[in-house]
Amino acid sequence: MADSFSLWLFAVSVGASALGGMLGMASGIFIVPILTLFGHIEMHTAIGASIVSVIACSCGGAGPFLKNRLTNIRLAIVLETATTAGALTGVLLAGIVPVSYLYLLFALILFVSAYQMLARRRNPVPAFANQGASCRRDALRLDSSYPDREIGREVLYRVDRLGFGMLLMYGAGLISALLGIGSGVLKIPAMDTAMRLPIKVSSATSNFMIGVTAAASAGVYFLRGSIITEVAGPVAFGSVIGAIIGARILLVVPNDKLRLLFVGILVILGAQMLLTLFGVHLRSL
Amino acid sequence: MNRVRRLEELLAGLLRYGSWSASAAIGLGFLLALVGSDSAARNPATAAHRIATIGIVLFILLPMLRVLVMFLVFLRERDFRFACVAASVLAIILLGIVLGRPAT
Repeated sequence: MADSFSLWLFAVSVGASALGGMLGMASGIFIVPILTLFGHIEMHTAIGASIVSVIACSCGGAGPFLKNRLTNIRLAIVLETATTAGALTGVLLAGIVPVSYLYLLFALILFVSAYQMLARRRNPVPAFANQGASCRRDALRLDSSYPDREIGREVLYRVDRLGFGMLLMYGAGLISALLGIGSGVLKIPAMDTAMRLPIKVSSATSNFMIGVTAAASAGVYFLRGSIITEVAGPVAFGSVIGAIIGARILLVVPNDKLRLLFVGILVILGAQMLLTLFGVHLRSL
Repeated sequence: MNRVRRLEELLAGLLRYGSWSASAAIGLGFLLALVGSDSAARNPATAAHRIATIGIVLFILLPMLRVLVMFLVFLRERDFRFACVAASVLAIILLGIVLGRPAT
């Protein structure tokens, strides 16, 4: 039983991570619902396994972003004070919050993700309208530039509304720690909409920060014994393999069909989480 | 600018090799557990379990190591403001571990 179960964990993680990787999303959002709904794994164990795979995908994917100078590491470390503080809050809450609330919150996050998938991510600012960077005061030297291959030149950008961005990042860290996901759902609006960063920069920088945010809660989950090697090992290994596969398929499959498939899966999983919540609730009455 | 470039390369290398080592350890543990499943491999004390756990711990430590490297680089460049920022990130992570660890 044990080996077929770890093979199942491995296969499911490869699938989830490949699917997520195709749309540049972390697999965590699929892993926890699948493990709890179909694997009947206890919620905290599923979260512990997922958070390790979130770190793996973040660290494993960071290299190319850094080499292409898309990651703003100065901005990342500033925002990480907010995401890790959020993670700290989340991991402390995780021990207190009843599991049924986690199911509810997870269903909510799944629906929000589905909505975000439907509303396409667009570049919040036209790439050239953003060149006033050098004339503005920038005490932390966060403004930067990245080489855009499509238009074939360096694009300058500035960082807007840092305070508001940090507040949203705190929330992202909290959700990440509570649910064991990378919580791109909150990082995307924070960086694209609030701080008005170019989409490539915000994807790369958010990927870079996810690892530290997840590690902040993973350390605690590990010490609490929620990270069980027999579960977390196959899940992390499968996620790494799946991410590699997903990045390759991205080039082949037409994006719009994939997006709809993705939305469908998110909605079904969200509904399932709600149903389970009610099941749990009814049984406990 | 060049200094930022060098830090980017350094971090890219650290994260790449770190991820490879951790994934290799977890993968090896996973395969060993599958191969040796007839014997006593399910016993938590077996080598397969230990190797996979080391891989998981490596993954958890890797981002913290990345922040530590950033802290040291900022410090060497006398960018004290950012050294402080990196130090606070590390401090928050450590605080979480102190506050969140199970009561013994």
